[in-house]
Amino acid sequence: MINAEHLTKRYGSRLAVDDVSFNCRPGRVTGFLGPNGAGKSTVLRMLCALTTPTTGRSLVLGHPFRELHNPGRQVGVLLDASAQHGGRTGREMLSVSAQLMSVPAGRVQQIVDHVGLTAREADARTRTYSLGMRQRLGLAHALLGDPRVLILDEPANGLDPAGIRWMRGLLRSFADTGGTVLLSSHLLHEVEAMADDLVIIGNGRILAQGSANELLAAPGTRVQSLDDDGLLAELLAAGHAADATADGVSTGASAPEVGRIALAAGIVLTDLRSAEAFGLEELFFDMTAQHGREEVAA
Amino acid sequence: MSTLTEPARPIVPSRVEAAGIPFTRLCLVEFRKQIDTRAGIWLLIVIALVNTALIVLTLTTAPPVALTWQNLTIAASFGQLMLLPLVGVMAATGEWSQRTAMTTFALEPRRTRVNLAKLASTGVLALIVMGLTLIVGALLNVVGLVWRDGDGDWALDWAVLAGTTLALLLVVVQGVAFGLAFLSTPVAIVAYLALPTLWSVLTGFIAALAGPAQWLDMNFTLFTLSAGEMTGSDWPRLGVSVAVWVGLPLAAGFWRTARRDVA
Repeated sequence: MINAEHLTKRYGSRLAVDDVSFNCRPGRVTGFLGPNGAGKSTVLRMLCALTTPTTGRSLVLGHPFRELHNPGRQVGVLLDASAQHGGRTGREMLSVSAQLMSVPAGRVQQIVDHVGLTAREADARTRTYSLGMRQRLGLAHALLGDPRVLILDEPANGLDPAGIRWMRGLLRSFADTGGTVLLSSHLLHEVEAMADDLVIIGNGRILAQGSANELLAAPGTRVQSLDDDGLLAELLAAGHAADATADGVSTGASAPEVGRIALAAGIVLTDLRSAEAFGLEELFFDMTAQHGREEVAA
Repeated sequence: MSTLTEPARPIVPSRVEAAGIPFTRLCLVEFRKQIDTRAGIWLLIVIALVNTALIVLTLTTAPPVALTWQNLTIAASFGQLMLLPLVGVMAATGEWSQRTAMTTFALEPRRTRVNLAKLASTGVLALIVMGLTLIVGALLNVVGLVWRDGDGDWALDWAVLAGTTLALLLVVVQGVAFGLAFLSTPVAIVAYLALPTLWSVLTGFIAALAGPAQWLDMNFTLFTLSAGEMTGSDWPRLGVSVAVWVGLPLAAGFWRTARRDVA
């Protein structure tokens, strides 16, 4: 559980983060999306008390991060996979933190296996690591204390497609067991496959937030009926994109089409309206294009 | 409304210990971090090499009557007085130059506590090195007895020994303090080595500074301390010089690290 409340960060005259508020819920993966330089990393660092907000505050598991006891056992943090001492081996880096968090020494080997680092890789100094290996080590470190919250900054960066798929599964199962995941990315397609909720930020301000289904749904129709499940099945059978929402069904089909399908199926509609077109994808790509620096580190 | 906007505090404490990380554990981890990197190990090896060279020099050139436990131990202490503070510098700056502060403070957000653990653990490292030096000095005393028919006296001058140990502790703390104040390994090392020397040189040249130098030159006051020649008026002088050269950078470093954004 993460609560950001009106987080604002000003560097001199530049407003890096401007009144950012959002919540991340247990059991869900929240994607924190924005182009490079939008303020994602600054927000994540403020959540972890590494950067002091100019105004606003944030809570993790109901407490300010600074007040958490032994935070490594509660919140797994990976903010920069390159921020590791080049002269330490991966295993030593994990062992030092295991000692500090007081997790059993056997957990280190377990987590090394879990993230797919070989014994040889784990025993090499991190100076020699590729970015993908650093990310795996960073994820291992975040998971080491068996936390209930994960805060990850661009965790897919440097992973190959197989690695990204593996991470997706790992985060999914973490959330499915009641964990809270907040991960940032500057690539929409990277998070849309794994995020339940999205928070979209540009130029330090929140542009949109909500469930991924709602935000990513193409402009279409929202409908409520006396038999939402039946209607959903009919819409899907008719070849339309459709999804159950909290209070009905959202679909890519137009309102007249939905009406026709409901009539044919004999389902009584109680509400039928065109959904607002978020145009999220366009918004996001416009923003990214405008900044025009795809792979520069934020 | 406040009940709606205030996020619920967890009723059940999480499965971790409620007490947090004990200070001793933090110190043990900081101690480990000083000796588990290549740079840390190499510094300790260089200290051992410097000491070895000085010991060999003493064993081969000193008159046999001077080959005592006391003298050999003091001869073998020079390396750590010179170089152990650099371990302290790196303990402080490594977090920022190697960017491990991100990990360290995510695991223990109370930064001043981490700094205190660094101070305590470098102090303990200094005591361990001093203890090892005593043991090596004893072994060499036997070597001197057998090889060069040395004096082999086992009596220790406690004023000198305690003075040297306290001096070592002070310079090691000074190393950490300079590291915390500058947060950059090269800048902190250069400042640590150059500034006090520069001040000593200046006070040597400028007559008007000779008086204040007795109070403000740590090279001067530490020399008296490690020579075991402290008298009543020397202690306040030591205190003042330590306040300036250790206390000030330490305070600045604590203040700086507590506020600095970690990136």
